[in-house]
Amino acid sequence: MDAKQKRSLERINEEIVTYSALAEGLALMPDDMSQKVHLPLVKYIVAQHSKTVEHVEKGLPLVANTFTNPPEIFSAMDIHWFFIFQAAWGGGVENPHLMEDLEIVDNMAVASDCCTLLRMGLYYIDQGYLPVPTAYVGIVEPCDGVTSVHEAIMSHKDWRNVPSFAPEPTYYTDERSIKYYAGEIKRMAEFLEKHTGNGLSIDRLRNVIEETNKQYALWHEYNALRMSSPTPHDAILPQSCFYVTNFAGAGDPCHTVWFQDLIAEAERRIAENDPVVPNQKFRVLWFDIPSVYYATLVPWMEQELGGTVVLDMISYCPYTQIDTSTEDTMFEGLAKRSLNDGPMIRQAKGFADNFLADIETIVNDFKIDCVIWPGHMGHKDGAASISLMREKCREINVPFLTIGLDHVDRRYTSLEEIQAKISQFVKAMVL
Amino acid sequence: MDTQVQNQAFNKFTEAAETINNAEMKKWKNDGKGIIGYFCSSFPEEIITAAGMMPFRIRATGSEDTELSDSFFSSNNCSFPRHAFNLALKGEFDFLDGIIVFNSCDNIRRIYDHWQRQLKTPFVEFVHIPKKAEAAQVDWFREEMSIFKEKVESHFNLELTDDKLAEAIKTHNETRQLLRQLYDLRKGDSPPITGAETIAITVASTAMPKLTYNKLLKDLLKELNSAKGHSDYKARLMVIGGELDNPGYIDVIESQGGLVVTDSLCFGTRIFWKDVDENIEDPLTALSQYYIVERPSCPRVYGKHADRAGYVKKMIEDFKVDGVIFERLAFCDIWGFEQFSITNDFKEWNVPLLSLDREYTLTAIGQLRTRVQAFMEALGG
Repeated sequence: MDAKQKRSLERINEEIVTYSALAEGLALMPDDMSQKVHLPLVKYIVAQHSKTVEHVEKGLPLVANTFTNPPEIFSAMDIHWFFIFQAAWGGGVENPHLMEDLEIVDNMAVASDCCTLLRMGLYYIDQGYLPVPTAYVGIVEPCDGVTSVHEAIMSHKDWRNVPSFAPEPTYYTDERSIKYYAGEIKRMAEFLEKHTGNGLSIDRLRNVIEETNKQYALWHEYNALRMSSPTPHDAILPQSCFYVTNFAGAGDPCHTVWFQDLIAEAERRIAENDPVVPNQKFRVLWFDIPSVYYATLVPWMEQELGGTVVLDMISYCPYTQIDTSTEDTMFEGLAKRSLNDGPMIRQAKGFADNFLADIETIVNDFKIDCVIWPGHMGHKDGAASISLMREKCREINVPFLTIGLDHVDRRYTSLEEIQAKISQFVKAMVL
Repeated sequence: MDTQVQNQAFNKFTEAAETINNAEMKKWKNDGKGIIGYFCSSFPEEIITAAGMMPFRIRATGSEDTELSDSFFSSNNCSFPRHAFNLALKGEFDFLDGIIVFNSCDNIRRIYDHWQRQLKTPFVEFVHIPKKAEAAQVDWFREEMSIFKEKVESHFNLELTDDKLAEAIKTHNETRQLLRQLYDLRKGDSPPITGAETIAITVASTAMPKLTYNKLLKDLLKELNSAKGHSDYKARLMVIGGELDNPGYIDVIESQGGLVVTDSLCFGTRIFWKDVDENIEDPLTALSQYYIVERPSCPRVYGKHADRAGYVKKMIEDFKVDGVIFERLAFCDIWGFEQFSITNDFKEWNVPLLSLDREYTLTAIGQLRTRVQAFMEALGG
């Protein structure tokens, strides 16, 4: 490996060390939750990162990708990929370099009012903290920032020669759009085959989809359990459902077992009235992706206010089963899943009605007591939809709070300010 | 920079750029003809012309506040849609017979959601314009236009034939050719027109019936062809960026001694630098090919940065540009990330670049002057 390749693995190797230590700790815990639910998740992260390292070290094909591009295609083609914007999150544990990184990001030639999460991804590339991939798959939605940051990445001196492709979701959700998007996904598969040399076997794709079908069905089952009050688990596990289905290697039968164990654990807690978060006083819909400081904010809300986040945008599971009878039904099913079901793409790429319909469904199904729209500075379409969301919440008689924060940068709105806003809102409107 | 243009056509263009509802539009309306508003330059206004109506590109000229639209947009939304929707709520666009919004950007596309709920414009439509420029997107957009055409025919009870579309393409291409002639005059050492005056002329092209506009522009070109021109400038400048419809902004730049000789703006060269191919038999395919692939793109289009950079570089060479000013509306993610690539391009090319953020309305003039003055000094002017 040359110096550039070594640098590109520095941060990934750091995470492997962090998560491996966490896995060792969890392995010592005797309870089912640690052994069957948390430990496998941490192992998945370590395994994915280790595979990335192996592919760089051995010069094997490696693809940079973004979420909601159907992971089933990558699994069926046996292509290993990594997610560019995972950098800012550190894979669930807040990146320990975050504050020093942000100071450098401030001085990049990107406007500071652009999404910090995306700026961080670009920063990682600019600093050489991500491996230069064999091929790069972006996506053209759900926001201007995503489209534009891909452009910036593609013109970066280290990445401009990397072959790239980005499927374009349509603004609509109808059959015509699904057929069009199925074509985009086929073109993505052709692109991947051309640049990695790995072909797509339709039988293998069918096997992968049949397994993810099982997992999405189990996720539905799990979310149905979260409808019960008190809700059995805290706010971190539901996001893990998305991680397991979309990031950890789609279609792995081990993940099906993980879902079954998750459900069994939740059922036991409901039967024994033993929720992870005791004294639940009100139920929250966090209507966005989680912030990097979510792991601090949510426990505070649980302990200080008695609020439990039942669902967030990533944890919502509107996914439908894919018909595996023919190649066309599989591609159209994957298109629908990517275009209409995946988080953010589902809500933000089209009309504001998409936000409103989901709020109403989730509030009713999950017996939500209040809706929090975090108001991430990068979500401009959401910022222009706040009045409509507020109006919808008024109509269905549920309190609505918008905070105004940066999912990545605590300096934008401090944790203390966020807590104060939530606290005042809950005391005045919810309890 | 003092104006040297004394011409009736130019006065009409200036009036069109400085107002929303200008005299030519009022006359058109009084004749019983319709006007359809649209946002952004990626919408094929030829369809509206073919329907016998006038396309009007929405601006927020003259807007001073956002007190009404603040209920619908947030402080981290771009100021252009906030001002434009404010004017709409005040009734300034009540003369429109229809409005078309597309997914131009995250800020503007939400205007559709609010407009259809808050205003009583008779025809409010949304069109999805792809952000990629490949064959599948040309096909998709041709279909979108076909669906939109049927809606226009049904709502306005008219027939939009291929002949009418072909005729409209011809008329709009003539506008483009005339505007390119205007820019050709600016390539010389003594351009007969300033950058601020030019923006007034290009803005007017989106706010007048095209046939009237073309006639007026021909008159103006005749005069400019023999005009003495400006030679007392300190540097030749180019302006690049997105929505900029205010000649006053360019005026402030030019007040520091530079002359803006060209641009890559969506009220500038990007709307006319190429023609729609009149040889393609199906007019909707010709329009789709032009709007998705051929016309100089803004950074909302994915995978075209190298083309955009090449376009700007050629402009710099052809117009003998000494320095470039990049302007961006605050909270615009599209140009926000493009700024990263542009900055790197300019370093590689060794061409001086000044990057400026701004609000839609002309504010912080003193700061703008100071930044431009410092840039001019760096250019040696």
